[in-house]
Amino acid sequence: MSGTSYHPVLDPALAPPFPKAVLPVLRNPQLRKNVAHAIDVIQAKRARLVAEKVDWQELRSAGAAIREHSLAHLGAYLEQFEARCTAAGGTVHWAADADEARRIILEILRQENASEVIKIKTMTSAEIQLNPFLEAAGIKAYETDLAEIILQLGHEEPSHIVVPALHVNRSQVREIFAQSMGIKDLSDDPKALTAAARNYLRQKFLTVPTAISGANFLVAETGSVAIVESEGNGRMCLTLPNTMITLAGIEKVIPRFQDLEVMLQVLARSATGERMNPYTSVWSGVTPGDGPQRFHVVLLDNGRSKILAKNTERQTLRCIRCAACMNSCPVYRQTGGHAYGSVYPGPIGAILTPQLMQMNYAQSLPYASSLCGACYEVCPVKINIPEVLLELRSQVVNQERGKAAKFFDPMYLGLRAANLIFSRAWLFHAAQYLGRVGLKLFTGKDGWIHRLPSIGGEWTQTRDLRGLPKQPFHSWWAARQKGGR
Amino acid sequence: MKVPSDSRARILQQVHAATQKTENPGDLASTYSNLPRTYVRAGRLSVAERIALMIERLREYDADVVETTSDKLDLAIAAQLRASGRHVFVAAEGLPAAWMAGGFEWKIDRNLSAAEIETCEGVVTGSFGGIADSGTIVLHHSAQEGRRIVSLLPDWHLCILYASRVVETLPEYFARCEQPPVLATYISGPSATADIEMTRIKGVHGPRFLNVIVVDDLGAELNTRQQGKEEISQGKST
Repeated sequence: MSGTSYHPVLDPALAPPFPKAVLPVLRNPQLRKNVAHAIDVIQAKRARLVAEKVDWQELRSAGAAIREHSLAHLGAYLEQFEARCTAAGGTVHWAADADEARRIILEILRQENASEVIKIKTMTSAEIQLNPFLEAAGIKAYETDLAEIILQLGHEEPSHIVVPALHVNRSQVREIFAQSMGIKDLSDDPKALTAAARNYLRQKFLTVPTAISGANFLVAETGSVAIVESEGNGRMCLTLPNTMITLAGIEKVIPRFQDLEVMLQVLARSATGERMNPYTSVWSGVTPGDGPQRFHVVLLDNGRSKILAKNTERQTLRCIRCAACMNSCPVYRQTGGHAYGSVYPGPIGAILTPQLMQMNYAQSLPYASSLCGACYEVCPVKINIPEVLLELRSQVVNQERGKAAKFFDPMYLGLRAANLIFSRAWLFHAAQYLGRVGLKLFTGKDGWIHRLPSIGGEWTQTRDLRGLPKQPFHSWWAARQKGGR
Repeated sequence: MKVPSDSRARILQQVHAATQKTENPGDLASTYSNLPRTYVRAGRLSVAERIALMIERLREYDADVVETTSDKLDLAIAAQLRASGRHVFVAAEGLPAAWMAGGFEWKIDRNLSAAEIETCEGVVTGSFGGIADSGTIVLHHSAQEGRRIVSLLPDWHLCILYASRVVETLPEYFARCEQPPVLATYISGPSATADIEMTRIKGVHGPRFLNVIVVDDLGAELNTRQQGKEEISQGKST
């Protein structure tokens, strides 16, 4: 129904490797057009608002320093957050992995006798695959962010962490809404579609007594949570229900309330190209008479403490999920998010996902980059993504070094052979001779090789190769020396 | 009942082990205070320019902004209410009685239910202040600013903003907070989405209409107003 004829897999343990997963996208011109359009719009807005900020680089430096400091003292700040949040009437839970987080949330929902729950967009809940788990436990989760509704009703998968439905265009949204909401004469005007979503959710907001959110920031000083949004669905979920559950990665903590003066400035500009997003909410625990009277925070590790222990990789955890890296990435622009096989796509996904999987899955992602460095340049907390990509690539190579299967891998065999040949001059000359003779068969009259057989064909499928010259440099040089000037 | 688990101890132990080399537990506060903060904190604009910028930004968000003076505030509120074409309003509990103009139905929020608030067509609240740089209205949800729900459910929000409470930069707002607020909502324009083809649509779940009355409680300082506006537009074009 949704316009995409394939169904992407966003579980890194099950998803095909990037080069394979990308093929259905590359063959889908509509999807590529949708992605490119959305990216161009956000990029232009971001560029304009970053340019007007005279202290942008200073803000980035401060953002990076605050996040790095938080990580360097994460234990102390987490304990402080827990103490202050508890004192303010919240309950703090700790989940070592996705499974434990799901069980804690289900337990709370069972205590609340909840059969339904409303949700603010949270990538962390997608990371732990919460919705299907709740569904299986008989609890219906309603997404309330417009993009998330589009995905949920259209049985689509998110392809971006800030605008998760950017790969779906208006006529596809119209189709999804008309079908699932039973509205026959719905137009494809975004205004009408937005109004349809508003009506669809209004009753849910007013009646469902339990909500789940993520967190943009946890403030250690006050034990409060900050949520940044645009539509007001977040405020609805934070204000109307009796019970609120916030799921947050342990890395989300910042030291003090005042640090938001940096984080909010860089986040809104980087994420949506706004000076400030329409709504930001900050709350501490429970306030009598205002908002949910029962409040739970679930702190999720799920591999994060392992990333924290590593020198180069730690910076991955600075991420504030603004998506500027994917918006600036030439690879993401062509592929969209689904090919990454993870709820975290783009450059940050390429470093975060394999690490969250403890390098057991998603090993193709560190290669899904041209290392151009655009992601590093735009990152508001200065994560050196190319540096981490290279570190992870070397780990992938090391993993493969020990495998017996490598002896059947043409890449491995080829590089071993090259290693041997490049280290001996006579072998190198012999190989050049063989190459000249062999490639002559495939070289056209114009001196270019247009088509190679077998593995070589993968190269010539999309590019031509210059034929080898009749005489190699070293023999020309030797002849020149002999002949004198 | 909390699920009994040793995960807390285990996670914290792993985190502390992971940060052994970088942690400086003895002097967290001084390490923190040495973080680089060379970004712009204090604004550069004059009072008049600051208020002009606040209004310009609010209007960019399609907020309806009018200016008045302290002595004419009640009249200005009444005029806005009349112009809205609406009749039933909810008032934040601590809203001054003089702000609740006659001729309209007022529901004062003494723990009104969501269903009762939902029947109101608009809401009037005060505000903690404003941030001109981003056109942001700040609510700390005092009695005059109302519970979070009252400025959320009604479709039309009239917010009273005193000029003396407007700062230029976000860091200036944080400097003004003596204590971090227990609750805070930052509103930058009416609710909006760009989720469908990045087309900005005003009004999703929060109020679709944001009206702001900027009250000049600074007196003479604002008289240089027109001059300020010109300087801003010149500054922008260079």
